[in-house]
Amino acid sequence: MQGANFDVVVVGGGISGIQAALDLADQDHKVLLVERAASIGGKMISLSKTFPTLDCSSCITTPKMSAAFHHRNIQVWTSTEVERVESRDGVRKVHLRKHPTYVDNSLCIGCRLCEYACPVEYPDPFEEGLGAQRAIAVPFTNALPQKAVLNPRYCIACGACIKACPTDAVRFDQEEERLTVEAGAVVLTTGFVLNALELKREYNAARSANIISPLQLERLLAPHGPYGRVLRPSDGKVPGNVAFVLCAGSRDQSIGVPYCSRFCCMYSIKQAMLLSGALPTAELTIYYMDIRAFGKGHEQFYQNAKAMGIQFVKAKVASIEPVTGDDLSLRVELEEEGGRVAERRHDLVVLAQGAIPVFEPSKALNTPAAEDGFLRQPDPVRITWTGVEGVFAAGCALGPKDIVDSIVEAGAAAMEASRFLALRAAGGSPGKEPDQLTNPIET
Amino acid sequence: MIRGSAQVESVASEPRIGVYVCRCGGNISDVIDTEKVAETIKLVPGVRVSKVHSFMCSEPGQAMIAEDIKKEQLNRVVVASCSPFLHELTFRVAVRRGGLNPYLYEHVNIREQGSWAHHGDPEGATVKAIRLVAAAVHRLYHAEPLEQIRLPSHRRALVIGGGIAGLKAAVDLAAKGVGVVLVEREPELGGRVLGLARLFPTDDSGRAQIDRLVREVCNNPNIEVLTGTVIKGVSGFLGNYDIAVGPALAAGAAGVDVGGAKDKKLSVGAIIVATGHDYYRPSLGEYGFKRYTQVVTMPEFIDLLAGASGDGIQWNGQRIHRIGFMHCVGSRQIEGIHPPQGDGKVNDYCSRVCCTTVLHQAVHAKRRFPNLAVFDFHQDIRTYGRLHEDYYRRASEAGVIFFRFHGDDPPLVEEGVDGFPIQVRLKDWLTWGEEVVVPLDLLVLAVGMVARDNRELVNLLKLPTGADRFFQEVHPKLRPVETSVNGILLAGSAQAPMTIEETLASASAAASKAACLLAHDSVELEPFKARVDADKCIGCGLCFPECAYEGALVRTSVEREGKTVTLAKVNPGLCVGCGACVPVCPTRAIDLQGWTLNQFEAMVDGLLSAPLPSKEVTSESSSHGQTH
Ligand SMILES: Cc1cc2nc3c(=O)[nH]c(=O)nc-3n(C[C@H](O)[C@H](O)[C@H](O)COP(=O)(O)OP(=O)(O)OC[C@H]3O[C@@H](n4cnc5c(N)ncnc54)[C@H](O)[C@@H]3O)c2cc1C
Ligand code: SF4
Ligand code: SF4
Repeated sequence: MQGANFDVVVVGGGISGIQAALDLADQDHKVLLVERAASIGGKMISLSKTFPTLDCSSCITTPKMSAAFHHRNIQVWTSTEVERVESRDGVRKVHLRKHPTYVDNSLCIGCRLCEYACPVEYPDPFEEGLGAQRAIAVPFTNALPQKAVLNPRYCIACGACIKACPTDAVRFDQEEERLTVEAGAVVLTTGFVLNALELKREYNAARSANIISPLQLERLLAPHGPYGRVLRPSDGKVPGNVAFVLCAGSRDQSIGVPYCSRFCCMYSIKQAMLLSGALPTAELTIYYMDIRAFGKGHEQFYQNAKAMGIQFVKAKVASIEPVTGDDLSLRVELEEEGGRVAERRHDLVVLAQGAIPVFEPSKALNTPAAEDGFLRQPDPVRITWTGVEGVFAAGCALGPKDIVDSIVEAGAAAMEASRFLALRAAGGSPGKEPDQLTNPIET
Repeated sequence: MIRGSAQVESVASEPRIGVYVCRCGGNISDVIDTEKVAETIKLVPGVRVSKVHSFMCSEPGQAMIAEDIKKEQLNRVVVASCSPFLHELTFRVAVRRGGLNPYLYEHVNIREQGSWAHHGDPEGATVKAIRLVAAAVHRLYHAEPLEQIRLPSHRRALVIGGGIAGLKAAVDLAAKGVGVVLVEREPELGGRVLGLARLFPTDDSGRAQIDRLVREVCNNPNIEVLTGTVIKGVSGFLGNYDIAVGPALAAGAAGVDVGGAKDKKLSVGAIIVATGHDYYRPSLGEYGFKRYTQVVTMPEFIDLLAGASGDGIQWNGQRIHRIGFMHCVGSRQIEGIHPPQGDGKVNDYCSRVCCTTVLHQAVHAKRRFPNLAVFDFHQDIRTYGRLHEDYYRRASEAGVIFFRFHGDDPPLVEEGVDGFPIQVRLKDWLTWGEEVVVPLDLLVLAVGMVARDNRELVNLLKLPTGADRFFQEVHPKLRPVETSVNGILLAGSAQAPMTIEETLASASAAASKAACLLAHDSVELEPFKARVDADKCIGCGLCFPECAYEGALVRTSVEREGKTVTLAKVNPGLCVGCGACVPVCPTRAIDLQGWTLNQFEAMVDGLLSAPLPSKEVTSESSSHGQTH
């Protein structure tokens, strides 16, 4: 693997990375798709259904995952993290860290016998901590590749998996590898993470298990989720009065996220709709500042939600306090009543956390980040270019955006990267772009 | 009636069929008893393997098919899962991975047409699933291996529309060595963006961005630009479109052509539709439009502000001190509240860009003229994009005063008092829904985006449009820039309202898709086309008048017993596989590959002879008078 050469390295195997890789591969470029998790699929593979069409998320992610995985022009390396990308002298050097999975992938047949044999259980990261996972396991049902991964934090080294494995694939002595690959171009699709649930201290998420993250609710709503139904975490009660607090980590200068996370209004509406299907008698309230239903079909989706009886309350949620019965009391300033303060009681609260970058441009690409922390977009007509020669980006790596916008942008980044390679092959100097580019995001 | 078993014997290779029933993680199995479907279907002749899986589309599901094909020597496969639209291709590929011809595969939809349609009737849905799967199994008795049709194609694309989307798509494709013909109706390239004096988030002028792209277009020998030109005719298919173009008629001057454009024929492999949008045109009196001269639209205001001199904004010779911005004009309309548009529908969608445009312009106006009083009338502030929220914050800091109205109770624009020409009256929901009156010198209507009236083009290209009248993509997530016509792609605001950045992304994505489709000098088409059995054809010609697709059926002369006879022949590129010709043929010489009459008959047999779990269907079987 060391020193391998690719036309393009795509960093991050979420939906953006998968789409960019497919577009590039279909144009006959040799692509390496690198994903630091044990499976490709990104956030999208763990979602329940997707707005605004409410189609099942795994059902529309898996075909793309498998198309990329089996494409003759794409190699997929999972459990591999990109640490740094260098762009110098016309070459992109991508420095990778291959995490040990303690399983030899060339031998593992994904039979899960090790998983069944393992005596240790820990909170399942794919289920956002709500279900249990064995210390060695195939990460989730539709993970790709279907290879077992051992989590050394929980492994007690009992050796049960070694005995159970029919192909002798378990390797307790596997070590981390560092390697560098070269590429003509790089596409960064490293996506986003949500900021901490406990970030807004006045919301007291640390003090109640019933203040949950929207990703947890996605899993609760997924047809194949951890409990098979929606239960609240503290006591397994079926919730009857659920609050969604929007902008609970965005549009807030005090926590360093002044921007809008763009998809939380819509996924909260979606989640409320799905909840009203799962729990027809539950009261559902969305506390919002503005409802940002701006995409194709989104406003209509929002109006449907209103017609279904979901309550939309324009209010700032000042604080959340745990109260008796594991319930929660919300102090809300009702903006439509001139800021009158009211106390509202709910038995489950979902905080629409803000979306923040995972990739640090200054460390990993030797280029400054934009003011919002995401990669820069310095060229107004080549919007997927990062300002570094041969390095492009798409999806949530360029700021939060929904799946449709991410996929379209991924196609654009693929085009830009392919165009870059074509111009270079033709002896042009694609790196020569207008010198003085205004960077609106930085000013 | 039950002839199923007799039919099986007539099939040359003994069918060994694998049936796979998907739970879809509960989407199906919460309603349909998938285990029972799999169990029951084993009774259908020819079924060797019948299994259930949580996600057939996942890697383990697909791998299972490939493995069984090898292990059990399956020669046909059925998957009962979601809509074929989502996964037919997935499973064809999986079948091929197992070493089988991908067309020896049958897809049964038991989700959209099963569990979702009949969620109140689990037993009925289960019976229906069994019948549908049985029909598919019977259909496969007569399946033949098919090959995709490979046809040479033109490595050249037509881009319709020379606005920013079309320009960007053209330069991207040309850089990849794909020839481009860029057709623009107007005499000048640039579209709407050209007219915008100041853009967010760059603060550039529209002309600066357009000029840069036009320069690239004009310097690229791979791009042919035809301005003042429109599309007159379209025929053909992916890889081989024949396009007729001709001069656009200047508005109002029928018969006068624009700038020397000529009639011309083009051959291209793919088409990118980048025809952009129109601004919503308020009706007479809507928010005072055309009733008061002090009510203007956003594009007019952008010009006004850009042209304002150092000492303030002037309108109609009057100095403007108090200015209001009305959001959602022509957008987010509600039936019963807003008058319907020409087609009887309201514009119930959000136009996406107008909130940010308002605040960007408001901030700019306040920066230039700090004493200007600025009022903003909105439902929600949708400054969602990168840096957009910043305009909102800066507007608030600069003292813009915000009012919030409810969509079902829009503000009224009235004649003003005390020397103000107009005033806005509304219930302000930032203060208990109190009624307020705001006197103004100028009101700017943030008019939304509407689809262009493109009836001719829609007809020529046979493209679907949505309820919002914009062009409709195949699937917003799986194929967001493709239309249902293979090889015709969408770029920019012809598809939906979007910002310039988003338009550029979509243009590049469409270019990328076109580059994928035209990566080689041939294209592959599905084999579901009519086929004429020359031995059976008697040359009666009855099929010709049935075919609606010009050139799909052609006459061909052959020698038969020393005589020349004229027979029918199919041009697979132009045949759409509709099957209209099949029933009129007196000798059954013409049939649809993959959908033969034999297969239809077998499906009916399969439906009727399906083995059903006895308990649940007693009433149904008696009502059909069936005996087992
Ligand atoms: C609760 C919730 C619900 C949502 N619901 C919807 C919905 O219904 N509809 C909709 O349209 N959108 C929805 N979204 C938005 C959707 O999740 C995003 O649009 C989508 O995930 C963006 O894809 P991406 O590939 O850009 O990023 P991601 O999904 O974040 O993928 C990025 C990938 O890159 C990998 N990666 C990161 N850094 C590295 C590195 N250094 N090396 C290697 N790999 C790396 C990550 O592990 C990850 O797999 C929702 C979001 C949330 C939070
Ligand atoms: S999308 Fe909605 S909830 Fe999310 S930050 Fe923006 S306004 Fe707030
Ligand atoms: S972007 Fe703002 S002004 Fe435009 S339609 Fe949407 S909500 Fe209304």
